[in-house]
Amino acid sequence: MQVFNAFLKVLKKRSLSAMIYIAVFLGIAIPMASSSNATEAMKLTSLDICVFDEDGTDASRELISLLAENNKIVTLENDRDVMTDALYYEWIDYALIIDKGYAEKLAAGETNDLFRSYHMHDSYSVVYVTNLLSEYTSTVKAFMTSGNSFSDALSKTADALSTDTEVTMKSFSSGGGLKDIVGFYYRYLPYILVSVILGTLCPVIVTMNSRDLRFRTSCSSIRSASYTMQLFLGSAIFVFAVLALFTVVGIVLNGGINGDMLLAVANSIIFSLVVTALTVFVSGFEIGPNIQALITQIASLGMSFLCGVFVPQSMLGGGVLAAARFLPMYWYTVLNDMLMGDTRFDAGKAALCLAVEAAFAVMLVVLTVLVRRQSSGKNAPRQKKAEPAAA
Amino acid sequence: MENTVVKIENLVKRYGELIALDHFSLEIKEGEIFGLLGPNGSGKTTTINCLLSLLSYDKGNIELFGKKMTPVSYDIKKDIGVIMQNVAVLNELTVYENIDYFCGLYISDKALRKKYVEEAVEFAGLGDFVKFYPKKLSGGLLRRLNIACGIAHKPKLIILDEPTVAVDPQSRNRILEGIEELNRAGATVIYTSHYMEEVEQLCTRIAIMDKGRKIAEGTKEELKRMIRNTETVTIEIIELPEEVRAQIASLPHVYSAEHDGERLVICCSGGKHNLIRILDVLQSRDLGFGRVYTELPTLNDVFLEITGKALRDKED
Repeated sequence: MQVFNAFLKVLKKRSLSAMIYIAVFLGIAIPMASSSNATEAMKLTSLDICVFDEDGTDASRELISLLAENNKIVTLENDRDVMTDALYYEWIDYALIIDKGYAEKLAAGETNDLFRSYHMHDSYSVVYVTNLLSEYTSTVKAFMTSGNSFSDALSKTADALSTDTEVTMKSFSSGGGLKDIVGFYYRYLPYILVSVILGTLCPVIVTMNSRDLRFRTSCSSIRSASYTMQLFLGSAIFVFAVLALFTVVGIVLNGGINGDMLLAVANSIIFSLVVTALTVFVSGFEIGPNIQALITQIASLGMSFLCGVFVPQSMLGGGVLAAARFLPMYWYTVLNDMLMGDTRFDAGKAALCLAVEAAFAVMLVVLTVLVRRQSSGKNAPRQKKAEPAAA
Repeated sequence: MENTVVKIENLVKRYGELIALDHFSLEIKEGEIFGLLGPNGSGKTTTINCLLSLLSYDKGNIELFGKKMTPVSYDIKKDIGVIMQNVAVLNELTVYENIDYFCGLYISDKALRKKYVEEAVEFAGLGDFVKFYPKKLSGGLLRRLNIACGIAHKPKLIILDEPTVAVDPQSRNRILEGIEELNRAGATVIYTSHYMEEVEQLCTRIAIMDKGRKIAEGTKEELKRMIRNTETVTIEIIELPEEVRAQIASLPHVYSAEHDGERLVICCSGGKHNLIRILDVLQSRDLGFGRVYTELPTLNDVFLEITGKALRDKED
């Protein structure tokens, strides 16, 4: 197992970039997964509001009660400087001064200059409170216009604006299938698989198969088949280890294995075979490290952009998708989108996706064999093995 | 009787229309340091590649250690060490790991391999560099590592293909001494080069190749006896009347006397006291001259006379 051991040593020296890719990917995926529960419930944002009620009427207190339903009312000394400091240091988000005469003006149907508001930032929440105040006065006026007394109008407005809007969280989960975060994890996985497998394995295979090394090895007593087999074994172990790591993390993120998870794993396994076949194909050419890196970037980034990894397929143009069909990552993404619930799940289509990916792997293997045969024919003086002819 | 280690009979290798080896035959005995000398493109490397079964050939027969050599002759290959012109090591492994790796392709016993690797490290003078990576080594040390990787398994036949190309003189001497040491330890050596001085210094027998053919073979003394030139006399002289040059050219055993305005170069074939006769002519005409020196023929002279061209003129 001398070649296998050397392969692993070379791999170890070349695995820094792979480790960075894996660490960054998992470093993003795991925290996202742990914080993903926050998206399962919706909570109205609450502001710290300070109200200076200079009117001191039932109407003004009614308004304060409404604000208090979803916000925290903070009490401050009624001093302009104190309020300004509180806003500046963000002890409060919003300050409201209900001017004297508020109730009278509101009862008279006025909606302007009833109060003054102060805030430091135009956040969504601040705009929401401002709109709420505006809506409140308009609604009171509307109720009075429709014949309600001022007190009735206040009470009906309070009821109307206290009604919570029903919020439904949109879930991409396919009903008992992959969690959202796992879906996204598997969506970005092909980019990482291409970067890690192609970017790491290709330089190692190119090194081990460099002409001078193979020459020296061919002169030794090790059988050519044994050499190739040991390289294959080393490559297989690397791919398996990478895949196993990502699969275990995927299962942990998903909280277990279910049907969709199994399909996602199968999808990633077959896609890894495609990437491995692509790696073997590329490493058949005697290319330098810069070209290897370039090919890795083109394959990983190019396919990811074209096939819907970085931008969902639903947002890609028809022309792009038509071209992407000729790339294995497209079929991976189609299946993953089904598992995420972005598109309707169709078992037949899922099987087709896996079959097309497998076909890409087979095609690359056949292509590798053909290119190597062609190459060995062209380089016969240096590479063709001897077939001693009869004298 | 010495055993025949390498036997090549009527080897023919064609690359399309080009005949790389033209009925090439060779026999190398055990314990020899055999030199294959020839310009680039003469067929030296093709011969080595055919010998190692890395190349097919169109006609002929190759036997190593009395057995027919084929690509699957692993029992023969285990006794061969190959050191090629291009350094073939793994840059990701240290010096020690590299030697261990290549030794391990032949020797599976770990304890024996460790002993062999340590001996190879000592042989190549790499003791201080075992933990270095090849990229940190100088050109000369890298060549020595290349050699250590090729000989660590203690092969009976060592093939060195231009191992000293682009090596500094100090490392070159060390490499040549190392080859002699390996030979003394019992290895048969095939050494290809277009550096005739190395071949002349090292090899017990030499074959000169050109255009895929063996044009001469023998010890260096035998080769030098094949040519007319036995001595070249060079005299630094600026003014030389034509009649004096002609008189020198007509002296017994002198077959050529050329004057280029600074030096008179006289080629002699056999005879004794040639230098005295030439100097007598110059002194009788009262002609002043500077340094005088004589040279015995080199392998380059042999090659020049046999092929009509200098050995190094054809470097690619």
